[in-house]
Amino acid sequence: MAEKKSGGKKPAAKKPAAKKAAAAPVAPVEHVPMRNPDFPVGVDYYPLDEERRSWSDWYDRDPEPDFAAMAASRISDVRVFVSWRCLETQVGQYDEDAMERLERIVEAARAHDLKLIVCFFADDRLAEMNEVPWGKRRDSRTDDYLIQRELSLVQKIVNRYRAEPVIKAWDLGNEAFCSGFETETALEKWVTELREAVREVDPDRPVLLGVDPETLLRETGVDPRGAIDLTERAWSHLTAPYRAYIAEGPVTSGPATYTDSFLLRAALRDLPVVVDGIGVHALEFSAAEEAAYVRTALYSALMNRASGAMLRRWRDLETEKREPYFRDPFEVLVGVVDVTGAPKPVLNEVKRFAAVAARLDPRRYALAPERAAVVIPAERYESLPSLAGLYDPRACLQAYIAAKEAHVPVTVAREGDELGGYHALYLPSPAKLTPAMWADLSAFVQGGGSVVLSYGGGDVDPALREIFGVEFNGDAGPRHAFACRVAQPGVLGDLRSFDARMDLPHYGLVTASGAMVVATDATGSPLLTVNQYGQGKAVFIATPVERAIAQNDPWATPTPVRHLLRTVYGTVASAAGAGAMLECDTPEAEIAHFLGEDDDILLILSHNAEKMTATLTTPRTVATVQDVRGGAPAEVGGKTFCVPLGPNGVAALRVKFG
Amino acid sequence: MASEEASHLYEAFVGQDPAKAIQVVERVRSSGVPQSQLFDTLYVPAMSLLGGAWAEGLIDEIVFTQASVVAEQIGSFVMPPVARPDTGVTVVIGSIHRDRHSVMKDVVASALKEAGFRVNDLGVDVRAADFLERLEETGSRIVIVFAEILATARAVSGVRDLLTAENREDVVLLVAGGPFAADPGLARAVGANGVIASAESALKVLGRVRDDILAGGAS
Amino acid sequence: MTPTRSSQVLVAEDLARRGQLPAAVAACYEALAVNDRDPFVHALLGHLMLEGDFYDEAIAASTQAIELDPDCSPAYLALGLAYDRRGGMWDQSVLVWHELAEVVPDLVTAHVQLGEAFAAAAFEEEAVDSWRRALELDPKEARAHYNLAIAALKREGMSTALPTIRKAGELDPSQDELFFALLGLPAERLEFDVAKVKPEAEARLFAAGMLLRAEDFFGASDLVRLVLDEDPANAEALALAAYAYLKQEAANEAMACALRALTYSPDLPTALYTLGVVYSRFPGLAKHAARVFIALAKAAPQHSLTHVLLAESLLGLQRYGQAKQAYRAAVRLDPACVRARFGLAAVRLTEGGYAEAQWEMRRAAYYDTRRQGNFWRLYDAYAEGGDS
Repeated sequence: MAEKKSGGKKPAAKKPAAKKAAAAPVAPVEHVPMRNPDFPVGVDYYPLDEERRSWSDWYDRDPEPDFAAMAASRISDVRVFVSWRCLETQVGQYDEDAMERLERIVEAARAHDLKLIVCFFADDRLAEMNEVPWGKRRDSRTDDYLIQRELSLVQKIVNRYRAEPVIKAWDLGNEAFCSGFETETALEKWVTELREAVREVDPDRPVLLGVDPETLLRETGVDPRGAIDLTERAWSHLTAPYRAYIAEGPVTSGPATYTDSFLLRAALRDLPVVVDGIGVHALEFSAAEEAAYVRTALYSALMNRASGAMLRRWRDLETEKREPYFRDPFEVLVGVVDVTGAPKPVLNEVKRFAAVAARLDPRRYALAPERAAVVIPAERYESLPSLAGLYDPRACLQAYIAAKEAHVPVTVAREGDELGGYHALYLPSPAKLTPAMWADLSAFVQGGGSVVLSYGGGDVDPALREIFGVEFNGDAGPRHAFACRVAQPGVLGDLRSFDARMDLPHYGLVTASGAMVVATDATGSPLLTVNQYGQGKAVFIATPVERAIAQNDPWATPTPVRHLLRTVYGTVASAAGAGAMLECDTPEAEIAHFLGEDDDILLILSHNAEKMTATLTTPRTVATVQDVRGGAPAEVGGKTFCVPLGPNGVAALRVKFG
Repeated sequence: MASEEASHLYEAFVGQDPAKAIQVVERVRSSGVPQSQLFDTLYVPAMSLLGGAWAEGLIDEIVFTQASVVAEQIGSFVMPPVARPDTGVTVVIGSIHRDRHSVMKDVVASALKEAGFRVNDLGVDVRAADFLERLEETGSRIVIVFAEILATARAVSGVRDLLTAENREDVVLLVAGGPFAADPGLARAVGANGVIASAESALKVLGRVRDDILAGGAS
Repeated sequence: MTPTRSSQVLVAEDLARRGQLPAAVAACYEALAVNDRDPFVHALLGHLMLEGDFYDEAIAASTQAIELDPDCSPAYLALGLAYDRRGGMWDQSVLVWHELAEVVPDLVTAHVQLGEAFAAAAFEEEAVDSWRRALELDPKEARAHYNLAIAALKREGMSTALPTIRKAGELDPSQDELFFALLGLPAERLEFDVAKVKPEAEARLFAAGMLLRAEDFFGASDLVRLVLDEDPANAEALALAAYAYLKQEAANEAMACALRALTYSPDLPTALYTLGVVYSRFPGLAKHAARVFIALAKAAPQHSLTHVLLAESLLGLQRYGQAKQAYRAAVRLDPACVRARFGLAAVRLTEGGYAEAQWEMRRAAYYDTRRQGNFWRLYDAYAEGGDS
């Protein structure tokens, strides 16, 4: 409902004259689909909704009312979970009653024009779906005999439904199940065998693996990218443990509101990515917080090139009640309807979101390209005792947020990726880069790209001097204050001198050997330098500022520090031709600019739990602005207009230039 | 006039004469200075004079201490009133039946009491009939119903239904709790007249309701 | 039997004590290569991971240490803190703190943390008992007071909670530190001879401030008197006198001196501070206190506590929204300000923001327990083979 408050409001034209202008004639009614087939919204439909139920109650309920409610809420996709234990009660013997339950789900989906994603091997920590009693506690991920039984199960189900149009995709396993793999090799072997089993029977439908490449790596140390690349769809999601690691704090403000899209961007490689698991992880949040968080995550997905979004759970899990809210380590408790099946406010958000997404026809509108990227260093994949694997994702998230606050269309790349498509790169606080990366950077900058690199501690590569034009004289160690004195105003944007209370883990002592010193610390030691190298620019920050933001309190970063980082990021991107296409005075307003032929669509998402107004300035004169869901367009007649945003609010605007 | 009386009060302090100090306060009060202003107009300048006298060495440490004791003794005569005046408005509050959340209710109840409202807190798990009964008993026309879970929030409509059935459409039904904050449409759906989002909003909303009621001439 | 530490462990330990996280972690792994069943190394790793806010790693390492030696008290500390800071693991946390409170009964933090774990799991009565036990051990334990204030807020509202918040604030040494920061004293304590203080007002007042910080009220008063004898209108001297009286529980003398100082210098932060603190002790003067603290926050906006004092006075006026803004200003200036965090939690509770209130309190615990440095106390005691 908060979204209605904000997103539903007509944007106010900044000029009084424009405010007074009569509304333009209402556009002719166009047919708008209920859903966007290119951006489906789905939900995980778990087999048990009450803690007291046993494994044998797997989907032992009529799904019809739930599926009817889903369809009415503009939900398109439903992921259901196969229970091996229920289906194959004895070796090679499949339980007809269980098969009937699956059939009932398929029929309900058919009746309501829903698409099913069938997940074969999932752990929901409740329904014991893979604990086949005859398995004798062998590991179902690596034991050859059990894998053969898994292949048989998969083929039986796929064969039964290979001509069934409601089946949209086959999901080999969810992340809770896949977290049991101990090596990349074992995971890839398992995925290969299961995928081939599916393909023998069903050559067409996409096969996917329901894991996020970053969260699974964090949880297990196993890098699943190779396994994901064996499938046709990629998924991205935030898990409860990953949230505790990357952004432990309030869910409706600060880093937590960027985490879903950061993981999405990190998962976007060659395959289309669906953001799944959208929802809060515990019942300690109020209905309003749940709704605000889900709204943020849904729009973040749409605004950052996801191919769809899946909600965490349909129905709340009924468990022991304890005041004020009970809590539980499980992460799949919270649904979009309550335990009685009544819709929660969050479901209204989903419905409204689907209505907006339906207006974004990808054949008419394309998201402005991202020519800037935050680069995850290769060292991120190192295990302990290297701390890079722990520090780098946090630093990269902060870099991503800074770029978003500067309204730079930004994505996430990895060291070793092809850099040719980018104009600006951010390398946040790496302790080291590979020699190959230094060579790539050299070529990138010489060719006209711009790079921002912050010092990550320890020694540096000699290439620093060549590319960044600074002589490294050692690490001055930790500091408890962050001082900035601007030596060259205007060179890297509107920088301001400041003193802030903040722990800095390192400070690189450098002297300029060709670079211009733009800012220093309190005693004149360079803090920020810019070097023209070839046709590009190389900016060096002498302290791991992104890591420092992450390792201090990212919800209470001193204002001038955030200002410094986003100003540098934004200025560098703009100069490199990778900056925002329009200006916005509010850092916490994230903007996605969808370009069309006759008009553009702007999605503006507030990452703030308070009300605010964003003022947007475009390079061209704006004729009218209109809520994408309809209503009278407001005439602007200028280049600037204001958009009121409620707490965690969204505005979806159709902008016509004239 | 005020500065002259402040001097007299200062003299009473230094003379260790609490009776005289009280006379000064009463004289100033009877001259029309309201209680809420006595501290600023009389006591503060007198205390400043006392501090000045000590700084200048006009009084020694012992006299300063004794004078301060007198100042403390008459402090209660000049203190602005602590409690806000009774608004005369009675509010019935409670968490709806089957809802045992109490934190928000307790915080709001305390804030309203502090602001001078007569709060009848029925506690948690309160049936619609109990709200109505207390409204009848107290003559109140304002009820705040708290609900923190969706199912109980929807059940607030039962309170409105009962009020309607009993011809008590004059009662202002306010609702509070997470589900209403998330979806203002829910408040309308259950027949509420308004939503309380916080203790401060309770004070604002109740202030407006109080004004409306007083303007209507009834309590 | 006293546990022994290998030379590799000593190297790691030394690096850890000096806060050199990456090097210390590397040294721990070197030590593990020699002996991967050494509880010291796992305990150290648990602590180091906790220092880096890597909670799952801290939990793993500390659990390992405890498995190797169930008497490894520093590992219990790191484990409990990791559970609490990570959040959502209250059941486990209660067990750990309960255990540690029994093993090291005088560890005040264990009782405070146990209370917070109980409270997060909605066992309010057990939580209150734990905080009271903490206060029996240390009546000045600020976080126990703040937690009790929040518990009172939940049951009885702000009017009951606010006096406890203020009481905790006054016990908190940081409030006195604010006065001396407003006075412009250096953070470090300097030794000096009173007899050799220059006969100039500035030098005398500086020396008086230093003596006040050392709680030598008579020495300070003598110096202030010398200044006032030469210039009775010296506002800074009067403000110092006011503070000295305040510390000796002579509120009226303090008020008299502070009011006099402000007649000469209406924006003098030290006088505003003292007057505001005096006013805030009288419930009827809530508006006056707010007025004074608004002036103080304007005169000294760089100090987080000035915003906290303003926020608390606004709570007294039921201006919760404005109080939230003031508290936020305080947290922006000093994220480690426990008092501001608890204040924010209180305000969030008045708005029904339960989850955010919990988070603010967890953040307060985070900074408070980091500051305490209990790990090394327990570690050293464990190394010596005795109780802490």
